[in-house]
Amino acid sequence: MKTDTKKLQELFDAKELVVVNVGVSAFGEAIQKQGAQVIQVDWKPMAGGDDEMLKLLEMMGM
Amino acid sequence: MKQYAQIRKNEYHDSLELLLATSILCEKDGIGKGNIAMGNAASKALFDSLGLSNPLAEQAGIMDVIIVAEAQSEEAFTEAVEATFEQMRGKKESNPSKHFDTTQDAVRAYPDAQLCVISVPGEYAKAEAMKALEAGLHVILFSSHISPEDELELKLFAQSRGLLVMGPDCGVVNLAGVAFLLGSVTDRGPFGLCGATGVGIQHVGALLQAAGSGASQIIGTGGGDLKQPVGGISMLMGIDALENDPATEYILLVSRKPNEEILAKILARIKDCSKVVVACFMGCERKVVESSGAIYAATLDEVAVKALELVGKKAMLQSESELDEMAAAAVVGMKPEQKYVRGLFTGGTYCEEAMNAFTALAGDVYSNAPLRESLRLKDSLVSCQNSCVDCGEDEFTAGKPHPTMEPSVRRPFITKEASDPEVCVLLLDFIFAVSAHMDPVGVVIEDIKQGMAAAAADGRKLAVVASICGTDSDFQSLGEQRAKLEEAGVLVCQTNYLAARLAGKIVALRNGGKQ
Repeated sequence: MKTDTKKLQELFDAKELVVVNVGVSAFGEAIQKQGAQVIQVDWKPMAGGDDEMLKLLEMMGM
Repeated sequence: MKQYAQIRKNEYHDSLELLLATSILCEKDGIGKGNIAMGNAASKALFDSLGLSNPLAEQAGIMDVIIVAEAQSEEAFTEAVEATFEQMRGKKESNPSKHFDTTQDAVRAYPDAQLCVISVPGEYAKAEAMKALEAGLHVILFSSHISPEDELELKLFAQSRGLLVMGPDCGVVNLAGVAFLLGSVTDRGPFGLCGATGVGIQHVGALLQAAGSGASQIIGTGGGDLKQPVGGISMLMGIDALENDPATEYILLVSRKPNEEILAKILARIKDCSKVVVACFMGCERKVVESSGAIYAATLDEVAVKALELVGKKAMLQSESELDEMAAAAVVGMKPEQKYVRGLFTGGTYCEEAMNAFTALAGDVYSNAPLRESLRLKDSLVSCQNSCVDCGEDEFTAGKPHPTMEPSVRRPFITKEASDPEVCVLLLDFIFAVSAHMDPVGVVIEDIKQGMAAAAADGRKLAVVASICGTDSDFQSLGEQRAKLEEAGVLVCQTNYLAARLAGKIVALRNGGKQ
Protein backbone atom coordinates (compact mmCIF):
# COMPACT_ATOMS: atom_id res chain seq x y z
CA MET A 1 0.00 0.00 0.00
CA LYS A 2 1.54 3.29 -1.08
CA THR A 3 1.17 6.32 1.14
CA ASP A 4 -0.87 9.37 0.29
CA THR A 5 2.09 11.75 0.07
CA LYS A 6 0.15 15.01 -0.32
CA LYS A 7 0.96 16.26 3.19
CA LEU A 8 4.60 15.25 2.85
CA GLN A 9 4.85 17.06 -0.48
CA GLU A 10 3.46 20.20 1.20
CA LEU A 11 6.22 19.86 3.78
CA PHE A 12 8.92 19.37 1.10
CA ASP A 13 7.67 22.40 -0.83
CA ALA A 14 7.21 24.73 2.17
CA LYS A 15 8.54 28.23 1.46
CA GLU A 16 8.64 28.94 5.19
CA LEU A 17 8.56 26.10 7.66
CA VAL A 18 6.54 26.59 10.85
CA VAL A 19 7.93 24.25 13.48
CA VAL A 20 6.69 23.47 16.99
CA ASN A 21 9.72 22.57 19.12
CA VAL A 22 8.82 20.62 22.24
CA GLY A 23 11.71 20.34 24.70
CA VAL A 24 15.38 21.26 24.23
CA SER A 25 15.37 24.95 23.30
CA ALA A 26 18.79 24.75 21.56
CA PHE A 27 17.17 22.61 18.86
CA GLY A 28 14.59 25.34 18.24
CA GLU A 29 17.26 28.04 18.15
CA ALA A 30 19.21 26.12 15.46
CA ILE A 31 16.06 25.79 13.32
CA GLN A 32 15.22 29.48 13.75
CA LYS A 33 18.78 30.46 12.75
CA GLN A 34 18.05 28.93 9.32
CA GLY A 35 14.99 31.08 8.72
CA ALA A 36 12.15 28.82 9.86
CA GLN A 37 9.50 30.05 12.27
CA VAL A 38 9.78 28.27 15.63
CA ILE A 39 7.14 27.97 18.33
CA GLN A 40 8.85 26.85 21.52
CA VAL A 41 7.06 24.64 24.03
CA ASP A 42 8.84 25.02 27.37
CA TRP A 43 7.95 21.47 28.25
CA LYS A 44 8.06 20.15 31.80
CA PRO A 45 6.57 16.97 33.24
CA MET A 46 2.86 17.53 33.85
CA ALA A 47 1.73 17.10 37.44
CA GLY A 48 5.38 17.32 38.48
CA GLY A 49 6.03 13.86 37.05
CA ASP A 50 3.48 12.23 39.38
CA ASP A 51 2.36 9.13 37.43
CA GLU A 52 -1.07 8.79 39.07
CA MET A 53 -1.89 12.45 38.56
CA LEU A 54 -0.63 12.23 34.99
CA LYS A 55 -3.03 9.36 34.22
CA LEU A 56 -5.91 11.36 35.69
CA LEU A 57 -5.01 14.40 33.60
CA GLU A 58 -4.76 12.25 30.45
CA MET A 59 -8.24 10.83 31.17
CA MET A 60 -9.47 14.42 31.41
CA GLY A 61 -7.97 15.09 27.96
CA MET A 62 -5.18 17.32 29.20
CA MET B 1 38.03 24.68 48.32
CA LYS B 2 34.95 23.34 50.09
CA GLN B 3 31.89 21.79 48.56
CA TYR B 4 28.56 23.65 48.61
CA ALA B 5 25.11 22.71 47.34
CA GLN B 6 21.82 24.40 46.54
CA ILE B 7 18.40 23.15 45.41
CA ARG B 8 16.17 25.39 43.27
CA LYS B 9 12.65 24.08 43.80
CA ASN B 10 10.17 23.66 40.97
CA GLU B 11 12.34 25.16 38.22
CA TYR B 12 12.48 22.84 35.19
CA HIS B 13 15.27 23.20 32.61
CA ASP B 14 16.26 20.87 29.78
CA SER B 15 19.56 18.98 29.98
CA LEU B 16 21.34 21.14 27.40
CA GLU B 17 20.42 24.34 29.21
CA LEU B 18 21.84 22.92 32.42
CA LEU B 19 25.02 21.81 30.69
CA LEU B 20 25.48 25.40 29.55
CA ALA B 21 24.70 26.59 33.08
CA THR B 22 27.37 24.22 34.42
CA SER B 23 29.94 25.68 32.02
CA ILE B 24 29.01 29.24 33.03
CA LEU B 25 29.16 28.41 36.75
CA CYS B 26 32.54 26.66 36.54
CA GLU B 27 34.10 29.68 34.79
CA LYS B 28 33.14 32.04 37.66
CA ASP B 29 35.88 33.30 39.99
CA GLY B 30 36.32 31.23 43.11
CA ILE B 31 34.58 28.14 41.72
CA GLY B 32 36.24 24.76 41.12
CA LYS B 33 34.60 21.57 39.97
CA GLY B 34 30.80 21.76 39.73
CA ASN B 35 27.67 20.34 38.20
CA ILE B 36 24.07 21.48 37.68
CA ALA B 37 21.29 19.00 36.82
CA MET B 38 17.64 18.17 37.38
CA GLY B 39 16.86 15.93 40.35
CA ASN B 40 16.20 12.68 38.48
CA ALA B 41 17.86 9.37 39.35
CA ALA B 42 20.34 9.45 36.43
CA SER B 43 21.51 12.94 37.34
CA LYS B 44 21.91 12.05 41.01
CA ALA B 45 24.14 9.13 40.00
CA LEU B 46 26.14 11.51 37.82
CA PHE B 47 26.90 13.75 40.82
CA ASP B 48 28.30 10.68 42.58
CA SER B 49 30.45 9.70 39.59
CA LEU B 50 31.82 13.24 39.35
CA GLY B 51 32.87 13.12 43.01
CA LEU B 52 30.21 15.70 43.87
CA SER B 53 27.95 13.61 46.13
CA ASN B 54 25.99 15.79 48.53
CA PRO B 55 23.23 14.81 50.99
CA LEU B 56 21.17 17.85 49.96
CA ALA B 57 20.91 16.46 46.39
CA GLU B 58 19.05 13.41 47.69
CA GLN B 59 16.20 15.68 48.80
CA ALA B 60 15.62 17.07 45.30
CA GLY B 61 12.60 15.97 43.25
CA ILE B 62 12.46 15.65 39.47
CA MET B 63 11.16 19.23 39.11
CA ASP B 64 14.04 20.65 41.17
CA VAL B 65 17.47 21.81 40.04
CA ILE B 66 20.51 20.54 41.97
CA ILE B 67 23.67 22.64 42.04
CA VAL B 68 26.81 21.24 43.65
CA ALA B 69 30.19 22.91 43.29
CA GLU B 70 33.51 23.41 45.01
CA ALA B 71 34.00 27.05 45.97
CA GLN B 72 36.39 29.24 47.94
CA SER B 73 33.56 30.36 50.23
CA GLU B 74 29.81 30.03 50.66
CA GLU B 75 29.46 33.63 49.56
CA ALA B 76 31.43 32.98 46.34
CA PHE B 77 29.23 29.93 45.66
CA THR B 78 25.94 31.77 46.20
CA GLU B 79 27.02 34.75 44.12
CA ALA B 80 28.24 32.54 41.27
CA VAL B 81 24.99 30.51 41.23
CA GLU B 82 22.85 33.66 41.18
CA ALA B 83 24.93 35.19 38.39
CA THR B 84 24.73 31.96 36.38
CA PHE B 85 20.94 31.76 36.54
CA GLU B 86 20.66 35.48 35.82
CA GLN B 87 22.68 34.90 32.64
CA MET B 88 20.49 31.94 31.69
CA ARG B 89 17.34 34.06 32.14
CA GLY B 90 18.78 36.79 29.92
CA LYS B 91 19.55 34.25 27.21
CA LYS B 92 16.01 32.87 27.30
CA GLU B 93 14.40 36.31 27.19
CA SER B 94 16.49 37.30 24.17
CA ASN B 95 15.14 34.29 22.21
CA PRO B 96 12.46 35.72 19.92
CA SER B 97 10.47 32.45 19.62
CA LYS B 98 6.86 32.38 20.78
CA HIS B 99 6.73 30.37 23.99
CA PHE B 100 3.99 28.03 25.19
CA ASP B 101 3.72 25.75 28.20
CA THR B 102 2.03 22.83 26.45
CA THR B 103 2.06 21.20 23.02
CA GLN B 104 -1.75 21.50 22.78
CA ASP B 105 -1.64 25.27 23.30
CA ALA B 106 1.12 25.67 20.69
CA VAL B 107 -0.58 23.64 17.95
CA ARG B 108 -3.94 25.34 18.63
CA ALA B 109 -2.35 28.78 18.33
CA TYR B 110 -0.45 27.87 15.14
CA PRO B 111 -2.72 25.73 12.93
CA ASP B 112 -0.38 26.38 9.97
CA ALA B 113 2.54 24.56 11.67
CA GLN B 114 3.69 21.60 9.55
CA LEU B 115 6.17 19.89 11.79
CA CYS B 116 6.79 19.11 15.45
CA VAL B 117 10.24 18.34 16.89
CA ILE B 118 10.11 16.45 20.18
CA SER B 119 13.01 16.04 22.61
CA VAL B 120 11.42 15.25 25.98
CA PRO B 121 12.36 12.30 28.22
CA GLY B 122 11.36 8.99 26.59
CA GLU B 123 8.55 8.13 29.01
CA TYR B 124 6.66 11.30 28.03
CA ALA B 125 7.53 11.38 24.32
CA LYS B 126 4.75 9.18 22.92
CA ALA B 127 2.05 11.33 24.49
CA GLU B 128 3.56 14.54 23.06
CA ALA B 129 3.99 12.94 19.61
CA MET B 130 0.37 11.82 19.60
CA LYS B 131 -0.80 15.36 20.39
CA ALA B 132 1.18 16.68 17.41
CA LEU B 133 -0.10 13.95 15.06
CA GLU B 134 -3.69 14.54 16.13
CA ALA B 135 -3.21 18.20 15.20
CA GLY B 136 -1.98 17.13 11.71
CA LEU B 137 1.77 17.73 12.14
CA HIS B 138 4.59 15.52 10.91
CA VAL B 139 6.86 14.53 13.80
CA ILE B 140 10.62 14.37 14.31
CA LEU B 141 11.16 12.37 17.49
CA PHE B 142 14.64 12.90 18.94
CA SER B 143 13.64 11.22 22.20
CA SER B 144 14.82 7.66 22.75
CA HIS B 145 13.78 4.84 25.10
CA ILE B 146 10.37 4.48 23.46
CA SER B 147 9.16 0.88 23.16
CA PRO B 148 8.90 -0.71 19.68
CA GLU B 149 5.18 -1.24 20.33
CA ASP B 150 4.67 2.46 21.03
CA GLU B 151 6.75 3.34 17.96
CA LEU B 152 4.55 1.07 15.84
CA GLU B 153 1.37 2.61 17.26
CA LEU B 154 2.58 6.15 16.52
CA LYS B 155 3.69 5.26 12.99
CA LEU B 156 0.47 3.43 12.06
CA PHE B 157 -1.62 6.32 13.37
CA ALA B 158 0.55 8.82 11.45
CA GLN B 159 0.46 6.76 8.25
CA SER B 160 -3.35 6.59 8.31
CA ARG B 161 -3.33 10.40 8.17
CA GLY B 162 -0.57 10.79 5.57
CA LEU B 163 1.86 12.00 8.24
CA LEU B 164 5.45 10.87 8.77
CA VAL B 165 7.10 10.05 12.10
CA MET B 166 10.88 10.36 11.90
CA GLY B 167 12.35 8.54 14.91
CA PRO B 168 12.33 7.75 17.79
CA ASP B 169 16.04 8.31 18.32
CA CYS B 170 16.18 10.35 15.12
CA GLY B 171 19.15 12.73 14.95
CA VAL B 172 19.45 13.81 11.32
CA VAL B 173 16.75 15.35 9.11
CA ASN B 174 16.87 18.04 6.39
CA LEU B 175 13.49 19.18 5.06
CA ALA B 176 12.62 22.10 2.81
CA GLY B 177 16.21 23.32 3.07
CA VAL B 178 16.33 23.34 6.88
CA ALA B 179 18.66 21.07 8.88
CA PHE B 180 17.31 19.73 12.16
CA LEU B 181 18.93 18.46 15.38
CA LEU B 182 22.28 16.83 14.55
CA GLY B 183 22.07 17.32 10.79
CA SER B 184 24.41 19.44 8.66
CA VAL B 185 23.27 22.43 6.64
CA THR B 186 23.28 20.93 3.14
CA ASP B 187 22.73 22.43 -0.31
CA ARG B 188 19.62 21.35 -2.22
CA GLY B 189 20.14 18.98 -5.15
CA PRO B 190 18.64 16.07 -7.07
CA PHE B 191 19.18 13.32 -4.46
CA GLY B 192 16.49 12.32 -1.97
CA LEU B 193 18.01 10.51 1.02
CA CYS B 194 16.28 8.22 3.46
CA GLY B 195 18.10 6.25 6.13
CA ALA B 196 18.02 4.57 9.50
CA THR B 197 21.49 5.77 10.51
CA GLY B 198 21.71 9.48 11.19
CA VAL B 199 25.42 9.90 10.65
CA GLY B 200 25.14 7.72 7.53
CA ILE B 201 22.74 10.04 5.73
CA GLN B 202 24.51 13.15 7.01
CA HIS B 203 27.81 11.74 5.70
CA VAL B 204 26.40 11.07 2.23
CA GLY B 205 24.76 14.52 2.12
CA ALA B 206 28.08 16.17 3.03
CA LEU B 207 29.98 14.30 0.30
CA LEU B 208 27.33 15.28 -2.28
CA GLN B 209 27.76 18.93 -1.32
CA ALA B 210 31.59 18.72 -1.35
CA ALA B 211 31.32 17.59 -4.99
CA GLY B 212 29.02 20.49 -5.91
CA SER B 213 25.70 18.66 -5.71
CA GLY B 214 23.14 18.27 -2.92
CA ALA B 215 20.05 16.70 -1.41
CA SER B 216 16.39 17.48 -2.09
CA GLN B 217 15.34 16.11 1.32
CA ILE B 218 17.11 13.99 3.95
CA ILE B 219 14.73 11.79 5.93
CA GLY B 220 15.94 10.01 9.07
CA THR B 221 13.75 7.13 10.14
CA GLY B 222 15.35 6.28 13.49
CA GLY B 223 17.24 3.04 14.09
CA GLY B 224 14.17 1.05 15.19
CA ASP B 225 12.24 1.58 11.96
CA LEU B 226 13.83 -1.33 10.09
CA LYS B 227 13.35 -3.72 13.00
CA GLN B 228 10.29 -5.68 14.10
CA PRO B 229 7.54 -4.91 14.84
CA VAL B 230 7.76 -1.57 12.98
CA GLY B 231 8.93 -3.20 9.73
CA GLY B 232 10.16 -0.13 7.87
CA ILE B 233 6.99 2.00 7.89
CA SER B 234 8.92 5.29 7.80
CA MET B 235 11.41 4.14 5.17
CA LEU B 236 8.62 2.87 2.90
CA MET B 237 6.73 6.15 3.36
CA GLY B 238 9.97 8.02 2.67
CA ILE B 239 10.46 6.13 -0.60
CA ASP B 240 6.83 6.84 -1.59
CA ALA B 241 7.25 10.54 -0.89
CA LEU B 242 10.62 10.87 -2.63
CA GLU B 243 9.32 8.95 -5.64
CA ASN B 244 6.46 11.45 -5.99
CA ASP B 245 8.60 14.53 -5.24
CA PRO B 246 9.36 16.41 -8.49
CA ALA B 247 12.58 17.86 -7.00
CA THR B 248 13.99 14.38 -6.33
CA GLU B 249 15.57 12.66 -9.33
CA TYR B 250 17.38 9.83 -7.54
CA ILE B 251 16.74 8.06 -4.23
CA LEU B 252 19.58 7.06 -1.88
CA LEU B 253 18.85 4.57 0.93
CA VAL B 254 21.24 3.95 3.84
CA SER B 255 20.89 1.54 6.74
CA ARG B 256 22.48 -1.32 8.60
CA LYS B 257 21.29 -4.62 7.11
CA PRO B 258 17.70 -5.25 8.25
CA ASN B 259 16.41 -8.78 8.95
CA GLU B 260 15.46 -10.90 5.93
CA GLU B 261 11.72 -10.24 6.09
CA ILE B 262 12.03 -6.46 6.29
CA LEU B 263 14.86 -6.42 3.73
CA ALA B 264 12.62 -8.35 1.30
CA LYS B 265 9.84 -5.77 1.81
CA ILE B 266 12.20 -2.84 1.13
CA LEU B 267 13.75 -4.56 -1.91
CA ALA B 268 10.28 -5.28 -3.34
CA ARG B 269 9.43 -1.58 -2.96
CA ILE B 270 12.69 -0.58 -4.70
CA LYS B 271 11.84 -2.95 -7.57
CA ASP B 272 8.54 -1.13 -7.95
CA CYS B 273 10.12 2.34 -7.79
CA SER B 274 10.05 4.51 -10.91
CA LYS B 275 13.25 6.38 -9.92
CA VAL B 276 16.86 5.15 -9.82
CA VAL B 277 17.78 3.95 -6.31
CA VAL B 278 21.28 3.62 -4.81
CA ALA B 279 21.15 1.36 -1.73
CA CYS B 280 23.63 0.69 1.05
CA PHE B 281 22.37 -1.86 3.57
CA MET B 282 25.70 -2.31 5.38
CA GLY B 283 26.69 -5.98 5.41
CA CYS B 284 24.17 -7.01 2.74
CA GLU B 285 25.39 -8.97 -0.30
CA ARG B 286 25.72 -7.18 -3.63
CA LYS B 287 23.58 -9.65 -5.61
CA VAL B 288 20.72 -9.39 -3.09
CA VAL B 289 20.61 -5.60 -3.45
CA GLU B 290 21.07 -5.71 -7.22
CA SER B 291 18.18 -8.19 -7.56
CA SER B 292 15.88 -5.26 -6.74
CA GLY B 293 17.29 -3.18 -9.59
CA ALA B 294 19.05 -0.85 -7.14
CA ILE B 295 22.63 0.29 -7.60
CA TYR B 296 24.69 -1.44 -4.89
CA ALA B 297 26.95 0.49 -2.54
CA ALA B 298 29.04 -1.34 0.06
CA THR B 299 30.00 1.69 2.14
CA LEU B 300 28.73 5.18 2.95
CA ASP B 301 31.48 6.65 0.76
CA GLU B 302 30.39 4.43 -2.12
CA VAL B 303 26.79 5.69 -1.89
CA ALA B 304 28.07 9.19 -2.65
CA VAL B 305 30.50 7.95 -5.33
CA LYS B 306 27.79 5.99 -7.17
CA ALA B 307 25.22 8.77 -6.77
CA LEU B 308 27.59 11.44 -8.09
CA GLU B 309 28.44 9.27 -11.11
CA LEU B 310 24.74 9.50 -12.05
CA VAL B 311 25.07 13.27 -12.47
CA GLY B 312 28.56 13.22 -14.00
CA LYS B 313 30.36 14.40 -10.84
CA LYS B 314 33.20 12.90 -8.85
CA ALA B 315 33.36 12.46 -5.07
CA MET B 316 36.25 14.36 -3.46
CA LEU B 317 38.10 11.43 -1.86
CA GLN B 318 41.76 10.61 -1.28
CA SER B 319 43.04 7.78 -3.49
CA GLU B 320 44.67 4.59 -2.19
CA SER B 321 48.05 5.76 -3.45
CA GLU B 322 47.65 9.07 -1.59
CA LEU B 323 46.85 7.15 1.59
CA ASP B 324 49.91 4.90 1.00
CA GLU B 325 52.14 7.97 0.71
CA MET B 326 50.66 9.50 3.87
CA ALA B 327 51.18 6.22 5.78
CA ALA B 328 54.76 5.83 4.59
CA ALA B 329 55.63 9.37 5.72
CA ALA B 330 53.78 8.97 9.03
CA VAL B 331 55.79 5.95 10.23
CA VAL B 332 59.20 7.58 9.73
CA GLY B 333 60.73 8.19 13.16
CA MET B 334 58.49 5.85 15.15
CA LYS B 335 59.99 3.67 17.87
CA PRO B 336 59.95 -0.14 17.43
CA GLU B 337 57.39 -0.70 20.21
CA GLN B 338 54.84 1.67 18.62
CA LYS B 339 52.41 -0.66 16.84
CA TYR B 340 48.81 -0.08 17.90
CA VAL B 341 45.87 2.17 16.95
CA ARG B 342 43.60 3.84 19.49
CA GLY B 343 40.35 5.16 18.04
CA LEU B 344 38.09 7.53 19.97
CA PHE B 345 34.72 8.02 18.29
CA THR B 346 31.79 10.30 18.98
CA GLY B 347 29.29 7.80 17.55
CA GLY B 348 28.57 4.14 16.89
CA THR B 349 28.16 4.20 13.10
CA TYR B 350 31.63 5.65 12.58
CA CYS B 351 33.19 3.42 15.24
CA GLU B 352 31.81 0.31 13.52
CA GLU B 353 32.75 1.53 10.05
CA ALA B 354 36.30 2.30 11.20
CA MET B 355 36.75 -1.09 12.86
CA ASN B 356 35.62 -2.88 9.69
CA ALA B 357 37.93 -0.80 7.50
CA PHE B 358 40.88 -1.19 9.88
CA THR B 359 40.42 -4.93 10.46
CA ALA B 360 40.60 -5.60 6.73
CA LEU B 361 44.14 -4.12 6.71
CA ALA B 362 45.69 -4.66 10.12
CA GLY B 363 43.81 -7.21 12.23
CA ASP B 364 41.36 -7.33 15.12
CA VAL B 365 40.22 -4.33 17.13
CA TYR B 366 39.03 -4.39 20.75
CA SER B 367 36.09 -2.15 21.61
CA ASN B 368 33.23 -1.35 23.98
CA ALA B 369 31.04 -1.89 20.88
CA PRO B 370 33.01 -4.76 19.29
CA LEU B 371 32.52 -6.42 15.90
CA ARG B 372 32.34 -9.74 17.77
CA GLU B 373 31.88 -10.48 21.45
CA SER B 374 35.37 -11.94 22.00
CA LEU B 375 36.80 -8.49 21.20
CA ARG B 376 34.86 -6.66 23.93
CA LEU B 377 37.07 -4.51 26.17
CA LYS B 378 36.87 -5.64 29.79
CA ASP B 379 36.87 -1.98 30.82
CA SER B 380 36.00 0.74 28.29
CA LEU B 381 38.46 3.04 30.02
CA VAL B 382 41.37 0.62 29.57
CA SER B 383 42.47 0.02 25.96
CA CYS B 384 44.04 -3.20 24.79
CA GLN B 385 46.30 -3.59 21.72
CA ASN B 386 44.28 -2.13 18.79
CA SER B 387 41.20 -0.51 20.37
CA CYS B 388 38.34 1.71 19.23
CA VAL B 389 36.02 3.24 21.82
CA ASP B 390 32.55 4.54 21.02
CA CYS B 391 32.24 7.53 23.37
CA GLY B 392 28.56 7.85 22.41
CA GLU B 393 27.69 4.62 24.26
CA ASP B 394 25.36 4.87 27.27
CA GLU B 395 28.22 4.36 29.74
CA PHE B 396 29.64 7.75 28.69
CA THR B 397 26.41 9.64 28.04
CA ALA B 398 24.23 8.71 31.05
CA GLY B 399 22.84 11.99 32.35
CA LYS B 400 24.96 13.95 29.86
CA PRO B 401 24.47 15.17 26.29
CA HIS B 402 25.88 13.15 23.40
CA PRO B 403 29.58 13.85 22.60
CA THR B 404 28.53 15.57 19.35
CA MET B 405 27.00 18.28 21.54
CA GLU B 406 29.56 18.05 24.35
CA PRO B 407 32.84 16.76 22.82
CA SER B 408 34.98 17.16 25.95
CA VAL B 409 34.32 13.54 27.00
CA ARG B 410 37.25 12.50 24.76
CA ARG B 411 39.80 14.88 26.28
CA PRO B 412 41.23 12.64 29.03
CA PHE B 413 41.34 9.65 26.66
CA ILE B 414 43.38 11.56 24.08
CA THR B 415 45.96 12.45 26.73
CA LYS B 416 46.05 8.89 28.10
CA GLU B 417 46.36 7.11 24.75
CA ALA B 418 48.95 9.59 23.46
CA SER B 419 51.16 8.76 26.46
CA ASP B 420 51.03 4.98 25.82
CA PRO B 421 54.46 3.99 24.37
CA GLU B 422 52.88 1.18 22.33
CA VAL B 423 50.53 3.50 20.41
CA CYS B 424 51.55 4.63 16.93
CA VAL B 425 48.32 6.25 15.75
CA LEU B 426 45.31 7.99 17.28
CA LEU B 427 42.13 7.93 15.19
CA LEU B 428 39.42 10.56 15.74
CA ASP B 429 36.15 11.63 14.15
CA PHE B 430 34.59 15.10 14.25
CA ILE B 431 30.91 15.54 13.44
CA PHE B 432 29.27 18.91 12.82
CA ALA B 433 25.60 19.57 13.46
CA VAL B 434 23.34 22.61 13.59
CA SER B 435 22.66 22.03 17.29
CA ALA B 436 26.12 20.77 18.20
CA HIS B 437 29.24 22.33 19.63
CA MET B 438 30.43 25.25 17.48
CA ASP B 439 34.14 24.40 17.84
CA PRO B 440 34.50 20.62 18.24
CA VAL B 441 38.13 20.65 17.10
CA GLY B 442 38.96 23.53 19.45
CA VAL B 443 37.75 21.51 22.45
CA VAL B 444 40.43 18.84 21.98
CA ILE B 445 43.17 20.47 19.89
CA GLU B 446 45.36 21.44 22.86
CA ASP B 447 45.16 17.87 24.18
CA ILE B 448 46.22 16.59 20.75
CA LYS B 449 49.13 19.04 20.54
CA GLN B 450 50.28 18.26 24.07
CA GLY B 451 49.98 14.51 23.42
CA MET B 452 52.10 14.77 20.29
CA ALA B 453 54.65 17.00 22.06
CA ALA B 454 54.87 14.64 25.06
CA ALA B 455 55.43 11.70 22.70
CA ALA B 456 58.18 13.65 20.91
CA ALA B 457 59.84 14.50 24.23
CA ASP B 458 59.88 10.77 24.93
CA GLY B 459 61.59 10.07 21.59
CA ARG B 460 58.39 8.76 19.98
CA LYS B 461 56.45 10.02 16.98
CA LEU B 462 52.69 9.87 17.36
CA ALA B 463 50.51 10.00 14.24
CA VAL B 464 47.04 11.50 14.68
CA VAL B 465 44.52 10.76 11.93
CA ALA B 466 41.12 12.44 11.78
CA SER B 467 38.09 13.06 9.59
CA ILE B 468 35.36 15.70 9.71
CA CYS B 469 31.73 15.04 8.77
CA GLY B 470 30.21 18.37 7.84
CA THR B 471 29.61 20.82 5.00
CA ASP B 472 30.98 24.24 4.13
CA SER B 473 27.49 25.63 4.85
CA ASP B 474 27.60 24.42 8.46
CA PHE B 475 27.81 27.00 11.25
CA GLN B 476 31.13 25.52 12.42
CA SER B 477 33.23 26.58 9.37
CA LEU B 478 34.66 23.46 7.82
CA GLY B 479 37.75 25.27 6.50
CA GLU B 480 38.74 26.70 9.89
CA GLN B 481 38.17 23.42 11.72
CA ARG B 482 40.24 21.48 9.18
CA ALA B 483 42.99 24.11 9.28
CA LYS B 484 43.21 23.84 13.09
CA LEU B 485 43.82 20.11 12.76
CA GLU B 486 46.30 20.41 9.90
CA GLU B 487 48.28 23.18 11.63
CA ALA B 488 48.68 20.86 14.62
CA GLY B 489 50.10 18.17 12.34
CA VAL B 490 46.99 15.98 12.25
CA LEU B 491 46.52 13.92 9.06
CA VAL B 492 43.02 14.86 7.89
CA CYS B 493 41.20 12.41 5.62
CA GLN B 494 38.10 13.21 3.57
CA THR B 495 36.02 10.55 5.31
CA ASN B 496 35.98 8.33 8.38
CA TYR B 497 36.42 5.23 6.20
CA LEU B 498 39.56 6.67 4.60
CA ALA B 499 40.89 7.77 8.00
CA ALA B 500 40.46 4.22 9.29
CA ARG B 501 42.20 2.83 6.20
CA LEU B 502 45.10 5.24 6.73
CA ALA B 503 45.36 4.14 10.38
CA GLY B 504 45.25 0.52 9.19
CA LYS B 505 48.05 1.14 6.69
CA ILE B 506 50.19 2.81 9.39
CA VAL B 507 49.68 -0.09 11.82
CA ALA B 508 50.34 -2.64 9.05
CA LEU B 509 53.62 -0.89 8.19
CA ARG B 510 54.59 -0.92 11.88
CA ASN B 511 53.98 -4.66 11.99
CA GLY B 512 56.22 -5.68 9.13
CA GLY B 513 54.67 -4.00 6.16
CA LYS B 514 51.81 -6.44 5.61
CA GLN B 515 48.57 -4.87 4.36
